[in-house]
Amino acid sequence: MTSLDRRGLLRLGGALTVGAGLAACSGTGTGSGADSGGAGDPRKGEITVWSWQGPAAQLKALLPEFNKAYPDIKVTVQDIGNPAIWDKITTGLAAGGSGLADVLHIGVDYLPGYVEKFPTGLADLGPLGATKHKDAFAQGLWQTVAPKGRVNALPWEANSGGFYYRADLFEKAGVDVESLATWDEVIEAGKKLKAATGVHLLGIDKPASQPDAANFFQLLLQLQGKFYFDLDGAITLDSPEAVTALTLIKKMNDAGLVSDLAGGWSALENSIKEGTAAVLPWPTWFGGIIEGLVPQEAGKWKVRLPPAVRRGGATAATVNSTHLAVAGSSKQQAAAWSFIEFMLTRPASQVAIYRGKGIAPALMAAYEDSLFHEPSAFFSGQKKGEIFLQALKSPTPATNYSADYARALKVVTDAQTKVLLKGADPAEVLKQAADQLAQQTGRKVVR
Amino acid sequence: MTFSVRRRTLPYLFVLPAVLLFAAFKLYPIVASFRLSLYHQAGGVEEFAGIDNYTRLLDDSLFWTALGNSATILAVQVPVMLALATGLAVAFNSTLLKARPLFRLGFFLPMVTGLVAYGIVFSVLLNQQYGLVNWLLGADLPWLTDPLLAKASLGLALTWHYTGYNAVILLARLQTIPTELYDAAAVDGAGAWGRFRHVTLPGLRPALLLTTVLSTIGTLQLFDEPYVLTGGGPDNATLTIGMYLYQNAFKYFDFGYASAIAYALALLIGLLGLLQFKVLGGKS
Repeated sequence: MTSLDRRGLLRLGGALTVGAGLAACSGTGTGSGADSGGAGDPRKGEITVWSWQGPAAQLKALLPEFNKAYPDIKVTVQDIGNPAIWDKITTGLAAGGSGLADVLHIGVDYLPGYVEKFPTGLADLGPLGATKHKDAFAQGLWQTVAPKGRVNALPWEANSGGFYYRADLFEKAGVDVESLATWDEVIEAGKKLKAATGVHLLGIDKPASQPDAANFFQLLLQLQGKFYFDLDGAITLDSPEAVTALTLIKKMNDAGLVSDLAGGWSALENSIKEGTAAVLPWPTWFGGIIEGLVPQEAGKWKVRLPPAVRRGGATAATVNSTHLAVAGSSKQQAAAWSFIEFMLTRPASQVAIYRGKGIAPALMAAYEDSLFHEPSAFFSGQKKGEIFLQALKSPTPATNYSADYARALKVVTDAQTKVLLKGADPAEVLKQAADQLAQQTGRKVVR
Repeated sequence: MTFSVRRRTLPYLFVLPAVLLFAAFKLYPIVASFRLSLYHQAGGVEEFAGIDNYTRLLDDSLFWTALGNSATILAVQVPVMLALATGLAVAFNSTLLKARPLFRLGFFLPMVTGLVAYGIVFSVLLNQQYGLVNWLLGADLPWLTDPLLAKASLGLALTWHYTGYNAVILLARLQTIPTELYDAAAVDGAGAWGRFRHVTLPGLRPALLLTTVLSTIGTLQLFDEPYVLTGGGPDNATLTIGMYLYQNAFKYFDFGYASAIAYALALLIGLLGLLQFKVLGGKS
């Protein structure tokens, strides 16, 4: 019987340490090894898909049909939840792709950041056959998914800014909402509404308990064709348009027209159920949410595109989009692409998804279906699908979210909170926010 | 393979598993994150940045805000909590108190609660519209959405969670103070306050040092509570260094900068710990 001597022991320890070190190293490099995947067989394999709530449910519902066309691809759709999915994708990409699903559902707010920080983290869909669908989607979206030729993802939903309102309340106040041409007119209408019904004009998450507290500000900015960054990536956060947008919000707040949605989503749901605000300036997908929350209010609600900021200005803005991407680490990229192509480029798939959860397709061909041209009983007989289709067809300038969108959102929501809770001056807080963002990111401020 | 060789190698063999685990899960990340703190990531490529990430910290107003918030909690919440814990420990030790084990258990139990779970419970209790606290007070206070009240709420949650834990540490020490000292003090004419001041407190000194240092570390690393309760808001009123670190790493993907924050934090904790040992430690 031999026992280990000390040298043997050291050798063993050394080997184990080196092994552990190597194992750990393989997971560190942010750019390294992520593109380790392969194409595989386009008609065969096992793939996993990450999405959240409604969209995940719709993908699951379409699986039987997908498997009729691709019987040998076994698909598992996982509902990771939103916002949990972003942290999960981030850690997966940072770990060189280990543990990531094959197909990832990614919002426009995260896509540029992932692409910039992890250049090979997402597979290039071009070689797999994506480029032939270049002109199939709503304007500006190809630029979003393939800014430099490399196709990082394929567009799924395209949401335009909307203006959902309680027609019955405005009627009581004697306001014709369809005739409101600018947001200044909306404020005047809001004062009449408050006086007649006691209901607030709209709600904002004033302390910004969730990053989407800036959605309304962002809509007002995009209606003016501006954003936090210009197309070259410079900061435009304190542009005159941004100051106009935040000043409008301040005016509404100072007039007592803004209810507080502190707490985020649950507060918003409660506010809709209790009817504390008459206007919901939310995008396309939100119509389905309202209908689901207060089905008994059918016929009381209407929808239109948001008024312009300046008289004669734009009323259409594509405020966000989501996409499906393939992980660069996936060994089944071709099969994953088959799945994406089936779901996103086939009008029948998109029509089914819209019917199920009201998720608006980026795929323009889908809108030929009669579903988008039917009157909605909930929205007082309006053809909701056509209203948003009109926005999608209007020319909208491309938006550069950049890799620093999350940071921008943080300084913007902080600035808005200062205005709403402490009555700060919009121009001043936006200037501070722009400077802070410049300090953090090294980007230039364009003034 | 003599007996003596085996005897000499045996201890190493015993510590080997612990050393390996430490090397893989502590030492390696510690070294790797230091390396990371010296790099920038631009377009997925790592570039050596020297001390850039550290100098950037000095100009970062949010870092200083976070540091200020932690300092406020440290200066207000920690002393209040430790005073409460000392009082509790004395009560737990008193023969006048019936059902002592029950009380000890009751006050210690919050410590067993998951951080996120109790954070969520507090956020529900403190909800402005539907929370129990406002209902009981008959008030409409914005507990989590007013900058000052949000800080207070955070302190409240922390105190509820950690007071019992600190009281139990202090109690353990309290039980080692010989009763003869109290008897002697009583004979010398010391009243209840005099005995507390001159016997209990000096006796508790090492335990007070320990709880102070632990609380300081805990406060500086604070993450779960503000993450769940306030998300660091409103307008960064409850942003802690831990939260800012998390945002930089996992929201902004700036791992180099986040690592620099982590190292600055570690340095700070080390310095404060040293200071507390100097002030409270005395001779052992």
